[in-house]
Amino acid sequence: MPNSEMLLTLSRVVMILCSLSVIIRCLRSMLRDRYDPETWAFLKIGKQQLLPVTHWENLLGRSRSADLQLEGKDIRRFHAVLRRTEDGAWRLFDVFGRGGVWVNGSAVTRDGLPLESGDAIRLGGTTLRFLDADEARRERLDSIRSPVGKRVSPVLTLLELTVFQLFLLMQHALSALPEDLPGIALSFALLILLEWSCFNAMRVIGRSGFEAETLAFYLTSLGFSVCAASAPEDTVRQALIALVSVILFLLAGIWMRSLKRAETLRLPAALLALLLLAANYVLGSEINGARNWIVFGGFSFQPSELVKVAYVYVGASTLDRLYRRRNLFAFIVFSAICVGVLALLGDFGTALIFFVTFLIISFLRSGSIATVFLALAGAGMAGMLAVSVKPHIARRFAVWGHVWEDRFDAGYQQTRAMSAAAAGGLFGKGAGAGWLHQTRMNAASNTDLVFGILSEELGLIIALCSIAAVLLLAFFAVRSARNGRSSFYAIGACAATGLMLTQLSLNVFGSMDLLPFTGVPFPFVSKGGSSLLCCWLLLAFIKSADNRKDASFAVSSGFLPRKVKKEAKA
Amino acid sequence: MKQITNRAVSVLLLAAFVIVGTLLYVIRFVDHGQDWAAAYSRENAGASGALIDRNGVVLASYSPYESLFQEDAELRQANYHVTGDYYGRTGTGLLTDYQDYSLFTGTSRSQNAVLYLNIDSELNRRAWQVLDGRPGAVLVTNYKTGELLCMVSSPTIDPLDAEPDPPEGAYLNRCLSASFVPGSVFKLVTAAAAIEKMPDLSERRFFCEGSVEIAGVTIVCSGYHGEQTFEEALSNSCNVAFSQIAIELGQQTMVKKVRELGFLDSQRLDGIPSVAGSFPTDFVGDPELGWAGVGQSTDLICPYAMLRYVSAIANDGVLQGPQLVRDGSTGSAERLLKAETAKALQRLMHYNVINGYGAGRFPGLELCAKTGTAERGDGSSNAWFVGFLADEEHPYAFVVMIERGGSGLGAAGSAANEILQFAVNR
Repeated sequence: MPNSEMLLTLSRVVMILCSLSVIIRCLRSMLRDRYDPETWAFLKIGKQQLLPVTHWENLLGRSRSADLQLEGKDIRRFHAVLRRTEDGAWRLFDVFGRGGVWVNGSAVTRDGLPLESGDAIRLGGTTLRFLDADEARRERLDSIRSPVGKRVSPVLTLLELTVFQLFLLMQHALSALPEDLPGIALSFALLILLEWSCFNAMRVIGRSGFEAETLAFYLTSLGFSVCAASAPEDTVRQALIALVSVILFLLAGIWMRSLKRAETLRLPAALLALLLLAANYVLGSEINGARNWIVFGGFSFQPSELVKVAYVYVGASTLDRLYRRRNLFAFIVFSAICVGVLALLGDFGTALIFFVTFLIISFLRSGSIATVFLALAGAGMAGMLAVSVKPHIARRFAVWGHVWEDRFDAGYQQTRAMSAAAAGGLFGKGAGAGWLHQTRMNAASNTDLVFGILSEELGLIIALCSIAAVLLLAFFAVRSARNGRSSFYAIGACAATGLMLTQLSLNVFGSMDLLPFTGVPFPFVSKGGSSLLCCWLLLAFIKSADNRKDASFAVSSGFLPRKVKKEAKA
Repeated sequence: MKQITNRAVSVLLLAAFVIVGTLLYVIRFVDHGQDWAAAYSRENAGASGALIDRNGVVLASYSPYESLFQEDAELRQANYHVTGDYYGRTGTGLLTDYQDYSLFTGTSRSQNAVLYLNIDSELNRRAWQVLDGRPGAVLVTNYKTGELLCMVSSPTIDPLDAEPDPPEGAYLNRCLSASFVPGSVFKLVTAAAAIEKMPDLSERRFFCEGSVEIAGVTIVCSGYHGEQTFEEALSNSCNVAFSQIAIELGQQTMVKKVRELGFLDSQRLDGIPSVAGSFPTDFVGDPELGWAGVGQSTDLICPYAMLRYVSAIANDGVLQGPQLVRDGSTGSAERLLKAETAKALQRLMHYNVINGYGAGRFPGLELCAKTGTAERGDGSSNAWFVGFLADEEHPYAFVVMIERGGSGLGAAGSAANEILQFAVNR
């Protein structure tokens, strides 16, 4: 039918243009908006010099990588930590426990001493004066920070995304069976409704940074397309899972606004993670060689996906706690247990993701003392990985780089994914019009081989856009982390994107034979509720590090809540 | 804080890894995409289809969920190199190769996934039975219409067998994907050049005393032929005469002719490429040129290229087709050699059969042919028999080649007779 052929060509062109534009607009928005730091207090050096304090946690010392770089007699490279709590109280710590820190003449210990505006801080032989910035002054300082979302309109970006989604739906309408179409259309309608509601909610609370969400919604709609093609009966369920995921994402973001709140839940999160892994070990069902599923009442989920979120949560930590060896040690033990259990479950891919995330977190956290410990722990965990090399994994390693020589056996999945991807060319055959999505022929094609489906049906360009979207999230997280209020947010955001990048490379390069095939999901895109939920929750970490002016809902305005203000006045 | 955010570069390292990997992937995609796509061509090309021979026999049919083959095991094996298999183990089968690919649009969905073939699967069966496991190739085409009726390569496998233990070279289509020492069938090429370049050819006499010495090298003949006319020399397959003709024509003329006739290039059969043959193109001395002129030296000919040549000779110089798949068109027509040359060669090949091989060996066939017993250099010989039927009702051109088959007339000639008898009596 020439008409449907024309529609297909038109939709290909529109979808590729929209994809590129969404990616480029998000990138421009991230690059062009200024990341002005917030100022919370000042350190007065001598009579003239005022040093702005731009984080909630600040390392004081002579080193260039100290947040407040000080020159003076007897000041060590890293000397003390200055920390602000949510309610505006300040505290000075001698986290390195080497002495030489005083507040108004009293020696400061590892547990710190409270600090009031005007107090004298003595580090070694140098005296500084601490000046808190009061509300009025901070508001004035804040008003000169650059606003967000003025240069690249987020509405237009979201509009383009919506056009993309509508054309994607149209391609499905051309290929889907008539009885499947209502479900597919409903799921896309729900998704579009969800993203606009989310955007409007942000507008209402006065937050205008929407790049990360837009990218996540872009990837989620690709996931919807994969679901519509491979399991049309699940589309509505997928939409409901997306709804739940976004709601939990919002709740998690709001929860993490408060550092104190976020901090208190770390231990319960760690326990929950261990509990989930234990439950998985006892109750787990084996699917495709790995026992990483729990099935009950027709509903199956992968506990390891939720553990990923808990892991990042536990791994992020505030600066004053970072330098306590006991704290690090607990994290190492926790990591070793996680990776160990996953290895025992035969879930090699997830174990590897945890291991890389562990390396990232430990690198972000470790000072010079802990590095050796961490390296040792890393080696130990690599040993655990080796244990996990079960026959089906050993086979995957053996065939790595030679999949075409063994395409009827161990290279079966990869060669199919590569062949389908190539058959899609640059522009794709049209959503739902490929063959790789046929799960009865190609096991796990809509999770592990999802990059093949994307390439085959939507073409190489859009498949590359999906990689670019995850990369952008990573750049965004790293850039935001620089101005993060607390190292908790910085580590959380970097670890979350590190985890996504690892997953992305294992998925894409694994199925395309550049890495051994491990069978892990593509962030946001692979079919599966637990995975989608995990990715949205990880996104909350990225949002919580973004403190451009009035950008992220997951960052509090930084000013005292009205209730507290009134109390203060009284 | 700064200390930590400085370390956040580690995440960018990971990002760099993803970027480098992606670039590498794109390069490989551009380089190898076509091979990747071809590997699962059935899946990539469309939902379902079938291969049906000229008599309506379904050789193979497939849908996304099923892969079916002809039930008759002998028929499956005889037609293996036409159909290929669902695993793409042989490079030339239609199940593997019949698709369009471009980097931009990927694999185009085949407009016509049901392919009607010109092949007569029963004729293939007969040819396969006649070869009886001997490695070789049989090709028969209708030189008037260009329909390729028979293409058999032996040995073969049963495509239904998922893990066969095949004889060596079973996946190789000897008709298209291999070239062989041609021996005396090459004299048809030397003859074509002689007809065009030696105006006094009919008056010339060639003297053979069993061998001839050229620049200190002895070229041996199959017998003592005495004084011969040109047509006698060809029917005697006289090495002495033809090596001297090749030397007299010169290497340049010979190479030009060989190239003109398409022996040095890869030819296509409905898009499936054949291998190129070879002939000494760099300067060689007279003795080597002499040997090359009688189909030895470094000469190699692909059976399909030879079929094109004899088919053109039979059709007064115009090559029709050949076409494996019926697409409703009459196929391409291409003038390969001058009509007078072709007609002269027709007469010579007819003379061969009447005066050389004996028409009695080929009862009822209006046969024009040339034999070849090509020394492989290891004591064994490739047996060739190529030619056509000068028969309005059965205008068939053919190539029969049996590797290490022995005598051209004895082995390939009698095989050709059996196959052609079957073909004309269909």
